[in-house]
Amino acid sequence: MLKFENVSFGFGTGKQPLLNNINFGLAAGEFGVLLGENGAGKSTLLRLCNGLLKPQSGTITVCGNSTSAEKTSLIAKSAGFLFQNPDRQLCQKTVREELEFGLRLHGKTDELSSECDEILEEFGLNPDDDPFSLSSGMRQYAAIASVLVCRPSLLLLDEPTSWLDATQTKTFLSVVKKRQQSGTAVLMITHDIKLANRAATRTFTLQQGQLSA
Amino acid sequence: MKALEYIPGSTLLHKTNPIIKIVAAFLITAVCFITTNHFVILGILALTVCLAAFCRSGLWALRVLRSLCILSALLFVVQALCTQQGEVLFILPLGINVTLGGVLFSALFVLRLLACALPLALVFRVTKGIDLANALHKNLHVPYKFAFAISSAMRFVPDFIDEMHEIKEAQTARGAELDSRNPFKKIRLLVPLCVPLLLSGVRKAQSAAISAELRGVSLRS
Repeated sequence: MLKFENVSFGFGTGKQPLLNNINFGLAAGEFGVLLGENGAGKSTLLRLCNGLLKPQSGTITVCGNSTSAEKTSLIAKSAGFLFQNPDRQLCQKTVREELEFGLRLHGKTDELSSECDEILEEFGLNPDDDPFSLSSGMRQYAAIASVLVCRPSLLLLDEPTSWLDATQTKTFLSVVKKRQQSGTAVLMITHDIKLANRAATRTFTLQQGQLSA
Repeated sequence: MKALEYIPGSTLLHKTNPIIKIVAAFLITAVCFITTNHFVILGILALTVCLAAFCRSGLWALRVLRSLCILSALLFVVQALCTQQGEVLFILPLGINVTLGGVLFSALFVLRLLACALPLALVFRVTKGIDLANALHKNLHVPYKFAFAISSAMRFVPDFIDEMHEIKEAQTARGAELDSRNPFKKIRLLVPLCVPLLLSGVRKAQSAAISAELRGVSLRS
Protein backbone atom coordinates (compact mmCIF):
# COMPACT_ATOMS: atom_id res chain seq x y z
CA MET A 1 0.00 0.00 0.00
CA LEU A 2 2.77 2.44 1.02
CA LYS A 3 6.45 1.88 0.35
CA PHE A 4 9.50 4.04 1.11
CA GLU A 5 12.75 2.97 -0.59
CA ASN A 6 15.98 4.78 0.36
CA VAL A 7 14.12 8.06 0.79
CA SER A 8 16.06 11.16 1.83
CA PHE A 9 14.63 14.65 2.18
CA GLY A 10 15.77 18.04 3.47
CA PHE A 11 14.64 21.65 3.21
CA GLY A 12 17.14 23.67 1.17
CA THR A 13 20.25 22.49 -0.57
CA GLY A 14 23.56 21.93 1.18
CA LYS A 15 21.91 21.35 4.57
CA GLN A 16 21.84 18.16 6.61
CA PRO A 17 18.83 16.10 5.36
CA LEU A 18 15.89 16.00 7.76
CA LEU A 19 15.09 12.42 6.71
CA ASN A 20 17.96 10.15 5.81
CA ASN A 21 17.67 6.92 3.85
CA ILE A 22 14.21 5.92 5.09
CA ASN A 23 13.00 2.41 4.25
CA PHE A 24 9.64 1.09 5.38
CA GLY A 25 6.31 -0.14 4.10
CA LEU A 26 2.72 -0.51 5.19
CA ALA A 27 0.46 -3.27 3.92
CA ALA A 28 -3.36 -3.19 3.67
CA GLY A 29 -4.96 -3.49 7.10
CA GLU A 30 -1.89 -2.34 9.03
CA PHE A 31 -2.07 0.47 11.59
CA GLY A 32 1.29 2.24 11.80
CA VAL A 33 1.95 4.84 14.47
CA LEU A 34 4.76 7.32 13.97
CA LEU A 35 6.38 8.66 17.12
CA GLY A 36 9.14 11.22 17.58
CA GLU A 37 10.06 14.50 19.20
CA ASN A 38 8.78 17.85 17.92
CA GLY A 39 10.81 18.85 14.86
CA ALA A 40 11.96 15.28 14.18
CA GLY A 41 10.31 15.38 10.73
CA LYS A 42 7.13 13.34 11.35
CA SER A 43 4.81 15.76 9.53
CA THR A 44 7.38 16.07 6.73
CA LEU A 45 7.41 12.29 6.36
CA LEU A 46 3.61 12.26 6.20
CA ARG A 47 3.61 15.04 3.58
CA LEU A 48 6.02 12.94 1.52
CA CYS A 49 3.55 10.04 1.61
CA ASN A 50 0.92 11.82 -0.52
CA GLY A 51 3.27 13.85 -2.72
CA LEU A 52 2.82 17.26 -1.07
CA LEU A 53 6.61 17.09 -0.77
CA LYS A 54 8.76 15.20 -3.23
CA PRO A 55 11.76 13.12 -2.05
CA GLN A 56 15.24 14.38 -2.93
CA SER A 57 16.32 10.80 -3.48
CA GLY A 58 14.69 7.39 -3.35
CA THR A 59 11.15 6.37 -4.25
CA ILE A 60 7.80 6.47 -2.50
CA THR A 61 4.92 4.47 -3.90
CA VAL A 62 1.28 4.67 -2.85
CA CYS A 63 -0.90 1.88 -4.23
CA GLY A 64 1.72 1.33 -6.94
CA ASN A 65 1.91 5.00 -7.99
CA SER A 66 5.18 6.89 -7.51
CA THR A 67 4.58 10.16 -5.66
CA SER A 68 7.38 11.80 -7.67
CA ALA A 69 5.68 11.03 -10.97
CA GLU A 70 2.01 11.64 -10.08
CA LYS A 71 0.20 14.81 -9.05
CA THR A 72 -0.89 15.05 -5.40
CA SER A 73 -4.52 15.53 -6.43
CA LEU A 74 -4.35 12.13 -8.18
CA ILE A 75 -2.64 10.38 -5.27
CA ALA A 76 -5.37 11.86 -3.03
CA LYS A 77 -7.82 9.41 -4.62
CA SER A 78 -6.11 6.56 -2.79
CA ALA A 79 -4.49 8.41 0.14
CA GLY A 80 -6.66 10.43 2.53
CA PHE A 81 -4.78 13.03 4.54
CA LEU A 82 -5.90 14.67 7.78
CA PHE A 83 -4.02 17.83 8.75
CA GLN A 84 -3.30 18.89 12.34
CA ASN A 85 -5.58 21.91 12.04
CA PRO A 86 -9.12 21.05 10.81
CA ASP A 87 -9.74 24.67 9.79
CA ARG A 88 -7.33 24.23 6.88
CA GLN A 89 -9.54 21.51 5.38
CA LEU A 90 -13.05 22.84 5.95
CA CYS A 91 -14.43 25.19 3.31
CA GLN A 92 -18.16 24.52 2.85
CA LYS A 93 -21.31 25.98 4.41
CA THR A 94 -22.67 22.81 6.03
CA VAL A 95 -21.20 19.57 7.31
CA ARG A 96 -23.05 17.60 4.62
CA GLU A 97 -21.70 19.85 1.84
CA GLU A 98 -18.25 19.43 3.35
CA LEU A 99 -18.51 15.65 3.05
CA GLU A 100 -20.01 15.81 -0.44
CA PHE A 101 -17.24 18.20 -1.57
CA GLY A 102 -14.63 15.46 -1.10
CA LEU A 103 -16.76 12.83 -2.82
CA ARG A 104 -17.41 15.15 -5.79
CA LEU A 105 -13.67 15.81 -6.14
CA HIS A 106 -13.18 12.05 -6.35
CA GLY A 107 -15.99 11.73 -8.89
CA LYS A 108 -18.06 9.54 -6.54
CA THR A 109 -21.35 11.38 -7.03
CA ASP A 110 -23.47 8.19 -6.94
CA GLU A 111 -22.44 7.49 -3.35
CA LEU A 112 -23.22 10.96 -2.01
CA SER A 113 -26.13 10.45 0.34
CA SER A 114 -25.55 6.86 1.52
CA GLU A 115 -21.86 7.36 2.36
CA CYS A 116 -22.49 10.71 4.04
CA ASP A 117 -25.38 9.45 6.19
CA GLU A 118 -23.34 6.53 7.45
CA ILE A 119 -20.34 8.59 8.48
CA LEU A 120 -22.44 11.41 9.95
CA GLU A 121 -24.09 8.84 12.21
CA GLU A 122 -20.75 7.32 13.23
CA PHE A 123 -19.46 10.69 14.43
CA GLY A 124 -22.78 12.08 15.66
CA LEU A 125 -22.52 15.09 13.35
CA ASN A 126 -25.53 17.20 12.37
CA PRO A 127 -25.50 17.51 8.55
CA ASP A 128 -26.97 21.04 8.58
CA ASP A 129 -24.47 22.56 11.02
CA ASP A 130 -22.03 25.20 9.82
CA PRO A 131 -18.61 23.54 10.29
CA PHE A 132 -17.05 26.82 11.45
CA SER A 133 -19.61 27.30 14.22
CA LEU A 134 -18.82 23.91 15.79
CA SER A 135 -16.58 23.33 18.79
CA SER A 136 -12.93 22.51 18.01
CA GLY A 137 -13.49 18.78 18.66
CA MET A 138 -16.53 18.63 16.39
CA ARG A 139 -14.66 20.60 13.69
CA GLN A 140 -11.95 17.95 13.88
CA TYR A 141 -14.67 15.28 13.57
CA ALA A 142 -16.05 17.03 10.46
CA ALA A 143 -12.54 17.13 8.96
CA ILE A 144 -11.95 13.43 9.77
CA ALA A 145 -15.37 12.51 8.36
CA SER A 146 -14.66 14.43 5.15
CA VAL A 147 -11.52 12.32 4.68
CA LEU A 148 -13.06 8.97 5.65
CA VAL A 149 -16.16 9.44 3.48
CA CYS A 150 -14.01 9.02 0.35
CA ARG A 151 -12.94 5.55 1.59
CA PRO A 152 -9.21 5.92 0.89
CA SER A 153 -7.00 2.82 0.78
CA LEU A 154 -4.34 4.64 2.82
CA LEU A 155 -5.18 6.97 5.67
CA LEU A 156 -2.56 9.52 6.77
CA LEU A 157 -3.38 11.20 10.08
CA ASP A 158 -1.31 14.06 11.49
CA GLU A 159 -2.00 14.25 15.25
CA PRO A 160 -5.72 13.61 14.78
CA THR A 161 -6.60 13.57 18.47
CA SER A 162 -4.95 16.83 19.54
CA TRP A 163 -8.32 18.65 19.36
CA LEU A 164 -10.39 15.78 20.79
CA ASP A 165 -11.43 15.01 24.37
CA ALA A 166 -11.19 11.49 25.85
CA THR A 167 -14.68 10.38 24.71
CA GLN A 168 -14.20 11.81 21.23
CA THR A 169 -10.78 10.10 20.98
CA LYS A 170 -12.44 6.77 21.83
CA THR A 171 -15.10 7.23 19.13
CA PHE A 172 -12.49 8.35 16.63
CA LEU A 173 -10.33 5.30 17.33
CA SER A 174 -13.23 2.86 16.99
CA VAL A 175 -14.22 4.34 13.60
CA VAL A 176 -10.64 4.28 12.28
CA LYS A 177 -10.06 0.75 13.67
CA LYS A 178 -13.19 -0.41 11.80
CA ARG A 179 -11.71 0.99 8.57
CA GLN A 180 -8.36 -0.65 9.30
CA GLN A 181 -10.06 -4.02 9.83
CA SER A 182 -11.79 -3.68 6.48
CA GLY A 183 -8.37 -3.31 4.76
CA THR A 184 -7.40 0.36 4.98
CA ALA A 185 -3.74 0.99 5.84
CA VAL A 186 -3.34 3.72 8.46
CA LEU A 187 -0.29 5.82 9.33
CA MET A 188 -0.87 8.11 12.30
CA ILE A 189 1.36 10.64 14.03
CA THR A 190 0.77 11.07 17.75
CA HIS A 191 2.46 12.13 20.96
CA ASP A 192 -0.01 10.06 23.00
CA ILE A 193 1.83 6.84 23.89
CA LYS A 194 -1.29 5.23 25.39
CA LEU A 195 -3.20 5.86 22.17
CA ALA A 196 -0.27 4.50 20.17
CA ASN A 197 -0.26 1.30 22.22
CA ARG A 198 -4.02 0.86 21.82
CA ALA A 199 -4.09 1.55 18.08
CA ALA A 200 -0.87 0.37 16.52
CA THR A 201 -0.07 -2.89 14.85
CA ARG A 202 3.35 -1.38 14.07
CA THR A 203 5.18 1.48 15.76
CA PHE A 204 7.87 3.61 14.13
CA THR A 205 10.12 6.11 15.86
CA LEU A 206 11.75 8.96 14.00
CA GLN A 207 14.96 10.22 15.55
CA GLN A 208 17.75 12.28 14.01
CA GLY A 209 16.51 11.59 10.50
CA GLN A 210 16.42 7.81 10.96
CA LEU A 211 13.32 5.65 11.24
CA SER A 212 13.35 2.66 13.54
CA ALA A 213 10.56 0.09 13.79
CA MET B 1 9.87 33.77 -0.46
CA LYS B 2 8.00 36.19 1.82
CA ALA B 3 7.61 39.63 0.28
CA LEU B 4 6.81 41.64 3.43
CA GLU B 5 8.71 39.73 6.09
CA TYR B 6 11.20 41.55 8.34
CA ILE B 7 14.70 40.12 8.19
CA PRO B 8 17.01 41.20 11.03
CA GLY B 9 20.28 42.85 10.09
CA SER B 10 22.77 45.50 11.06
CA THR B 11 23.12 47.43 7.79
CA LEU B 12 22.74 51.20 7.56
CA LEU B 13 19.27 50.77 6.08
CA HIS B 14 18.21 48.60 9.03
CA LYS B 15 19.39 51.29 11.46
CA THR B 16 17.82 54.26 9.62
CA ASN B 17 14.75 55.86 11.23
CA PRO B 18 11.61 54.09 9.91
CA ILE B 19 9.96 57.42 9.07
CA ILE B 20 12.88 58.39 6.79
CA LYS B 21 12.57 55.01 5.05
CA ILE B 22 8.80 55.35 4.60
CA VAL B 23 9.09 58.95 3.35
CA ALA B 24 11.86 57.92 0.92
CA ALA B 25 9.70 55.08 -0.41
CA PHE B 26 6.76 57.46 -0.93
CA LEU B 27 9.04 60.02 -2.63
CA ILE B 28 10.23 57.30 -5.01
CA THR B 29 6.58 56.43 -5.69
CA ALA B 30 5.82 60.10 -6.39
CA VAL B 31 8.78 60.39 -8.80
CA CYS B 32 7.60 57.27 -10.63
CA PHE B 33 4.20 58.84 -11.20
CA ILE B 34 5.52 62.29 -12.13
CA THR B 35 8.07 61.15 -14.70
CA THR B 36 7.12 59.78 -18.10
CA ASN B 37 10.67 58.69 -18.89
CA HIS B 38 11.05 54.90 -18.94
CA PHE B 39 14.78 55.12 -18.25
CA VAL B 40 14.30 57.14 -15.06
CA ILE B 41 11.99 54.43 -13.72
CA LEU B 42 14.40 51.70 -14.82
CA GLY B 43 17.13 53.60 -12.97
CA ILE B 44 14.95 53.75 -9.81
CA LEU B 45 14.36 50.00 -10.08
CA ALA B 46 18.10 49.31 -10.48
CA LEU B 47 18.85 51.59 -7.51
CA THR B 48 16.31 49.75 -5.35
CA VAL B 49 17.80 46.36 -6.28
CA CYS B 50 21.28 47.73 -5.40
CA LEU B 51 19.94 48.97 -2.02
CA ALA B 52 18.41 45.54 -1.41
CA ALA B 53 21.74 43.90 -2.30
CA PHE B 54 23.43 46.28 0.18
CA CYS B 55 21.03 44.83 2.84
CA ARG B 56 21.93 41.30 1.71
CA SER B 57 18.52 40.92 0.07
CA GLY B 58 19.49 41.24 -3.58
CA LEU B 59 18.26 37.77 -4.47
CA TRP B 60 15.02 38.44 -2.59
CA ALA B 61 14.49 41.67 -4.59
CA LEU B 62 14.94 39.81 -7.87
CA ARG B 63 12.49 37.13 -6.74
CA VAL B 64 9.91 39.77 -5.78
CA LEU B 65 10.37 41.35 -9.21
CA ARG B 66 9.96 37.98 -10.89
CA SER B 67 6.69 37.36 -9.01
CA LEU B 68 5.40 40.84 -9.87
CA CYS B 69 6.38 40.33 -13.51
CA ILE B 70 3.69 37.64 -13.88
CA LEU B 71 0.95 40.12 -12.90
CA SER B 72 2.71 42.87 -14.85
CA ALA B 73 2.75 40.80 -18.04
CA LEU B 74 -1.03 40.40 -17.82
CA LEU B 75 -1.52 44.13 -17.16
CA PHE B 76 0.83 44.98 -20.02
CA VAL B 77 -1.16 42.92 -22.52
CA VAL B 78 -4.55 44.33 -21.38
CA GLN B 79 -3.26 47.90 -21.35
CA ALA B 80 -1.50 47.55 -24.74
CA LEU B 81 -4.69 46.24 -26.34
CA CYS B 82 -6.87 48.93 -24.77
CA THR B 83 -4.66 51.97 -25.51
CA GLN B 84 -4.82 53.08 -29.12
CA GLN B 85 -2.27 55.86 -29.70
CA GLY B 86 0.17 56.66 -32.51
CA GLU B 87 1.59 54.40 -35.19
CA VAL B 88 0.07 50.94 -35.66
CA LEU B 89 2.74 48.29 -35.10
CA PHE B 90 0.68 45.26 -36.13
CA ILE B 91 -2.91 44.11 -36.39
CA LEU B 92 -4.16 41.11 -34.40
CA PRO B 93 -7.09 38.86 -35.45
CA LEU B 94 -10.55 40.49 -34.99
CA GLY B 95 -8.97 43.77 -36.19
CA ILE B 96 -7.34 44.73 -32.88
CA ASN B 97 -4.55 47.25 -33.44
CA VAL B 98 -1.38 47.18 -31.38
CA THR B 99 0.03 50.71 -31.44
CA LEU B 100 3.43 52.12 -30.55
CA GLY B 101 1.82 54.58 -28.13
CA GLY B 102 -0.10 51.75 -26.49
CA VAL B 103 3.01 49.62 -26.02
CA LEU B 104 5.06 52.54 -24.63
CA PHE B 105 2.25 53.58 -22.26
CA SER B 106 1.78 49.96 -21.08
CA ALA B 107 5.52 49.62 -20.48
CA LEU B 108 5.46 52.84 -18.43
CA PHE B 109 2.42 51.62 -16.47
CA VAL B 110 4.06 48.28 -15.64
CA LEU B 111 7.43 49.84 -14.79
CA ARG B 112 5.68 52.27 -12.43
CA LEU B 113 3.97 49.36 -10.68
CA LEU B 114 7.28 47.53 -10.19
CA ALA B 115 9.22 50.62 -9.15
CA CYS B 116 6.57 51.61 -6.58
CA ALA B 117 6.08 48.15 -5.06
CA LEU B 118 9.73 47.16 -4.59
CA PRO B 119 10.88 50.09 -2.38
CA LEU B 120 7.85 49.68 -0.09
CA ALA B 121 8.49 45.94 0.21
CA LEU B 122 12.16 46.72 0.99
CA VAL B 123 11.11 49.13 3.76
CA PHE B 124 9.13 46.35 5.47
CA ARG B 125 12.03 43.92 4.98
CA VAL B 126 14.45 46.16 6.87
CA THR B 127 12.06 47.65 9.47
CA LYS B 128 10.69 45.91 12.55
CA GLY B 129 6.90 46.34 12.90
CA ILE B 130 7.18 47.59 16.48
CA ASP B 131 9.88 50.16 15.47
CA LEU B 132 7.57 51.40 12.74
CA ALA B 133 4.68 51.75 15.22
CA ASN B 134 6.88 53.61 17.71
CA ALA B 135 8.24 55.93 15.03
CA LEU B 136 4.77 56.72 13.66
CA HIS B 137 3.61 57.48 17.20
CA LYS B 138 6.63 59.55 18.31
CA ASN B 139 7.56 61.41 15.12
CA LEU B 140 4.24 61.76 13.31
CA HIS B 141 2.02 61.76 16.45
CA VAL B 142 -0.21 59.03 15.06
CA PRO B 143 -2.28 57.65 18.02
CA TYR B 144 -0.47 54.55 19.31
CA LYS B 145 -3.51 52.31 18.76
CA PHE B 146 -3.53 53.12 15.03
CA ALA B 147 0.25 52.87 14.71
CA PHE B 148 0.13 49.48 16.45
CA ALA B 149 -2.72 48.34 14.16
CA ILE B 150 -0.74 49.33 11.03
CA SER B 151 2.41 47.51 12.13
CA SER B 152 0.40 44.45 13.25
CA ALA B 153 -1.40 44.31 9.89
CA MET B 154 1.95 44.27 8.09
CA ARG B 155 3.24 41.63 10.49
CA PHE B 156 0.36 39.29 9.58
CA VAL B 157 0.76 39.49 5.78
CA PRO B 158 3.46 36.75 5.61
CA ASP B 159 1.36 34.63 7.99
CA PHE B 160 -1.62 34.89 5.66
CA ILE B 161 0.53 33.89 2.70
CA ASP B 162 1.71 30.83 4.68
CA GLU B 163 -1.86 30.05 5.69
CA MET B 164 -3.12 30.24 2.10
CA HIS B 165 -0.31 27.88 1.12
CA GLU B 166 -1.35 25.42 3.85
CA ILE B 167 -5.03 25.64 2.87
CA LYS B 168 -4.09 24.97 -0.77
CA GLU B 169 -2.03 21.96 0.37
CA ALA B 170 -4.94 20.66 2.45
CA GLN B 171 -7.39 20.94 -0.44
CA THR B 172 -4.91 19.37 -2.89
CA ALA B 173 -4.58 16.48 -0.43
CA ARG B 174 -8.39 16.12 -0.62
CA GLY B 175 -8.19 15.79 -4.39
CA ALA B 176 -8.77 19.38 -5.56
CA GLU B 177 -6.69 19.87 -8.70
CA LEU B 178 -4.85 22.94 -7.42
CA ASP B 179 -1.66 21.40 -8.81
CA SER B 180 -3.18 21.59 -12.30
CA ARG B 181 -1.50 23.76 -14.96
CA ASN B 182 -4.86 25.08 -16.17
CA PRO B 183 -5.22 28.61 -14.67
CA PHE B 184 -9.03 28.73 -15.14
CA LYS B 185 -9.47 25.43 -13.29
CA LYS B 186 -7.21 26.71 -10.52
CA ILE B 187 -9.16 29.97 -10.13
CA ARG B 188 -12.48 28.08 -9.97
CA LEU B 189 -11.09 25.81 -7.24
CA LEU B 190 -9.49 28.69 -5.32
CA VAL B 191 -12.78 30.56 -4.73
CA PRO B 192 -14.10 28.26 -1.94
CA LEU B 193 -10.70 28.46 -0.24
CA CYS B 194 -11.25 32.14 0.52
CA VAL B 195 -13.76 31.06 3.22
CA PRO B 196 -11.28 29.35 5.57
CA LEU B 197 -8.69 32.05 4.91
CA LEU B 198 -11.12 34.86 5.76
CA LEU B 199 -12.42 33.07 8.84
CA SER B 200 -8.96 32.34 10.15
CA GLY B 201 -8.00 35.96 9.42
CA VAL B 202 -10.92 37.29 11.44
CA ARG B 203 -10.20 34.83 14.27
CA LYS B 204 -6.52 35.78 14.30
CA ALA B 205 -7.36 39.50 14.32
CA GLN B 206 -9.83 39.00 17.19
CA SER B 207 -7.38 37.04 19.32
CA ALA B 208 -4.54 39.49 18.54
CA ALA B 209 -6.80 42.40 19.57
CA ILE B 210 -7.81 40.70 22.83
CA SER B 211 -4.20 39.79 23.56
CA ALA B 212 -3.06 43.39 22.90
CA GLU B 213 -5.82 44.77 25.14
CA LEU B 214 -4.91 42.37 27.94
CA ARG B 215 -1.29 43.50 27.70
CA GLY B 216 -2.39 47.11 28.10
CA VAL B 217 -2.13 48.57 24.59
CA SER B 218 -4.94 51.03 25.43
CA LEU B 219 -3.01 52.39 28.41
CA ARG B 220 -0.40 53.88 26.08
CA SER B 221 -1.59 57.16 24.63
